[in-house]
Amino acid sequence: MNGEGELALAHRALAHLGGDQAQATVTHERSLFSRFARSTATQATVIDDTSVEMLCVLDGHTGAASTNQVDDEGLEDAARLARGAATAAARSGPGAYPGLPQPAPTTAHRGYDPATATLDAGAAGCALAAAFARCREAGLEAFGIWTAGEVTTAIASSTGVAVADGVTDASMTVIARDNGGRSGYATSTAVAAGTIDAAALAAAAVAKVTRDDPATLAPGEYTVVLDHAAVGTLLDFLGSLAFNGLAHTELRGALSGLIGARVAAPCINLADSTRVPGTLPRSFDAEGVPKRPLPLIQDGIAHAVVYDTRTAALARTSSTGHALAPGGSPDGPEPVNLVLAGGDAATLEELCAPIKRGLFVTRLWYVNTVEPRRALLTGMTRDGTFLIEDGAIGRPLHDVRFTDSALRILAATEQLTAAQRLVSDTDQYGRRFAKGVLCPALRAGAFRVSGGSA
Amino acid sequence: MRVSAGCVDGIECTSDEGVGIRVAVPGHGFGFAATREATKTGLELALARAVAIARALPASSPRAPWPAVSPARGHWASACKIDPFALSLDERLELLLKAEALMRGDPRIVRGVAESLAIRTVVAFASSDGAAFTQERTECGGGISAYAAADGESQLRSYPSGHGGSVALAGHEHLLALDLPAHAPRVAEEALALLSAAPCPAGRTTLVVGDEQLALQIHESIGHALELDRILLGEASYAGASWVSPTDVGTLRYGSPLLAISADATLPGGLGSFGWDDEGVAAQRTMLIEDGVLRATLSDRESAAAIGAASGGAARADGFARQPIVRMTNVSLEPGDAGTLEQLIADVPSGVYMETNRSWSIDDRRLHFQFGTEIGREIRDGKLGRLLRNPTYAGATPQFWNSLDAVASAPAWRLWGLLNCGKGEPGQYAHVSHGTPPARFRDVEVGVLR
Repeated sequence: MNGEGELALAHRALAHLGGDQAQATVTHERSLFSRFARSTATQATVIDDTSVEMLCVLDGHTGAASTNQVDDEGLEDAARLARGAATAAARSGPGAYPGLPQPAPTTAHRGYDPATATLDAGAAGCALAAAFARCREAGLEAFGIWTAGEVTTAIASSTGVAVADGVTDASMTVIARDNGGRSGYATSTAVAAGTIDAAALAAAAVAKVTRDDPATLAPGEYTVVLDHAAVGTLLDFLGSLAFNGLAHTELRGALSGLIGARVAAPCINLADSTRVPGTLPRSFDAEGVPKRPLPLIQDGIAHAVVYDTRTAALARTSSTGHALAPGGSPDGPEPVNLVLAGGDAATLEELCAPIKRGLFVTRLWYVNTVEPRRALLTGMTRDGTFLIEDGAIGRPLHDVRFTDSALRILAATEQLTAAQRLVSDTDQYGRRFAKGVLCPALRAGAFRVSGGSA
Repeated sequence: MRVSAGCVDGIECTSDEGVGIRVAVPGHGFGFAATREATKTGLELALARAVAIARALPASSPRAPWPAVSPARGHWASACKIDPFALSLDERLELLLKAEALMRGDPRIVRGVAESLAIRTVVAFASSDGAAFTQERTECGGGISAYAAADGESQLRSYPSGHGGSVALAGHEHLLALDLPAHAPRVAEEALALLSAAPCPAGRTTLVVGDEQLALQIHESIGHALELDRILLGEASYAGASWVSPTDVGTLRYGSPLLAISADATLPGGLGSFGWDDEGVAAQRTMLIEDGVLRATLSDRESAAAIGAASGGAARADGFARQPIVRMTNVSLEPGDAGTLEQLIADVPSGVYMETNRSWSIDDRRLHFQFGTEIGREIRDGKLGRLLRNPTYAGATPQFWNSLDAVASAPAWRLWGLLNCGKGEPGQYAHVSHGTPPARFRDVEVGVLR
């Protein structure tokens, strides 16, 4: 990948925009998806598409248009729409957008794997076959997905920004399930598809399916061990609730008024960083602002939130390189490379050892925000929930509903594993956008169970 | 387009076009590839890719044969009285600027948002079954929201619904009928009042659910649960499965005898309406639940064939670059005979009324749920009382729908559109609508973890 073709297209699109302030963003995605259910391949999808986003800035207003028709006619149509939108917006009076950022040097990263970019469907076939075989040996059925993608992004702007970046990502999820509906889960995401071991993943999923009848856990507060996937989900939600510079500035954020205050246990060190090995790095944000490491919570003390150009102007500070869309998302910026530092526990078993009675959670499901100001969330556990008794993982539990604050859980965190894993929630709804949380598993002394699913 | 703080936050125009090709490869699953190159070369390349990826995957046992359908032919277009794309941007912005301005004034309103959208989708479909049709759908709508913050509390109030407002399969006339400016002052006042309102009390009580919130309750705990691909475990790894089994059709008591649920892809104004689905099956109206008993499921040709049935006409794709999967059409609660919302409340000595969805969560079998709404009101002696903030309720699907004891009558029935129904990998958003009047439920858990 060198992105030269995409950058040339971005410059060609920029030429159509004209005017003083304009940005053209080109995104090219090539990806494969192979889904499976009941140990059978079900749906396979190939995507190969290019989109061009045109942004026109006029008197503090932005007008945007996008198209996948990249000939001159298509680009001119999109440019005309973007100019028309900005012109119409400007007639309402001066706007708040401070202007496009100036060019700044970006840093190379290790987020591109040429082998993954070849997108060999044969690799998907081998991965599925390995997962099916391991589940079949255990008398279980396999469900899940294998996917790999290459995304190249190029930005050219009237301020002189001219950057291109290529990233690859691959992931596989295996759910092993028995006839009674008991299930186990394992997932892996990485820059390189070659590092994903389908058989090992399937074995890990199989290991979470026990033959014992599940017990029921009454609502209440429990000590909990959250496996990596569960921690990643909590932190992903915290990313939007606590560190969004727009909500923070408008006193709607979970950390509004709390910068400099203790908001988590001293063992919590959370940053947004693309330079830590194991993340899904990228060089710049959607405005072409370079990515730099940013500590968010240090030793449990709230340190910073993130900004794009628009929200930085509101807060009278500088962009931290977290724009999610050209010109900034109307909903504000978010961190997309959260890293929670690991602790000193060598294993999950070590996390469980001090617990007299508690629960082990493999993953969380359908989490949603109840009260954003408190980072209060609700969701279910799924695919591997167990009782911890006398320091060890024991009987399976029926899935439970939790309703708790992500910040409260971090404040009650007692210990973390040394090992971190990448927990990815790659956005595949529009254009593929690989992102993830690199985090350890943790033990927290307080986790509120509000219901169950017996 | 979106307006906030007296400024235009942004106007976005998106245009995409291309061709998606789905192939069923004998002995393998489906392969799908899309291309924006609508040339002979581009299409042949996409076809080759679709076949190649299907063949690269492990062989599978033969699929159940699909029952034949009449080849879909012709053209269908949704109703659109005022073409939103024929209006000037200025005209459409003016409405939003006016509505947003009417929410400002009190410094505790930290953000007012007025937004609208218009979408036109033109589809040409052909299949090896002999189908060849075109259809055109126009969607239009919008809404307003006020965010209030003070003293460590923040609240949101929206009209006519949360999550971007009300969208319908209609033209600009739908947005005009919402009359956003008329509701803006009330929305701001309620957002401010919620800052100091009493928390929703915890316990079990009678719950009256407003129609917009009930639309999402139907969506999550009935619509998704009755998607046949989920029931057959085809979505178990991502969207989840269902607490319903294929053999429950005809016997399962889903709810009280007052529960009647239709799936109607012919409903005027519904985002789930079309001439034919994305497998070329004609739009149809089906009763999913009658007298509280399960009668049918939502299906496409593949899932229906797996149980020896004909497709329910619910295969839908999110654009040319996604393959069709089982989705909802317009899944609605039929009106009851309990009169108005006020009459529902009049029979309640003590309870809670909730409206406008803010939060939603349900397990992977669509059984155990928890919802939160923007606003609640105490019900005392048959009348609405004080405002309640952060209201929530929780339950299990069959118990909840069996506690349904009153459904308001037809004049109170409204159609609510959702644009963000996520499913599939790669992800797809479906646009669906749910019609419902307000309804009343006894003995529901409210105020979860207050």
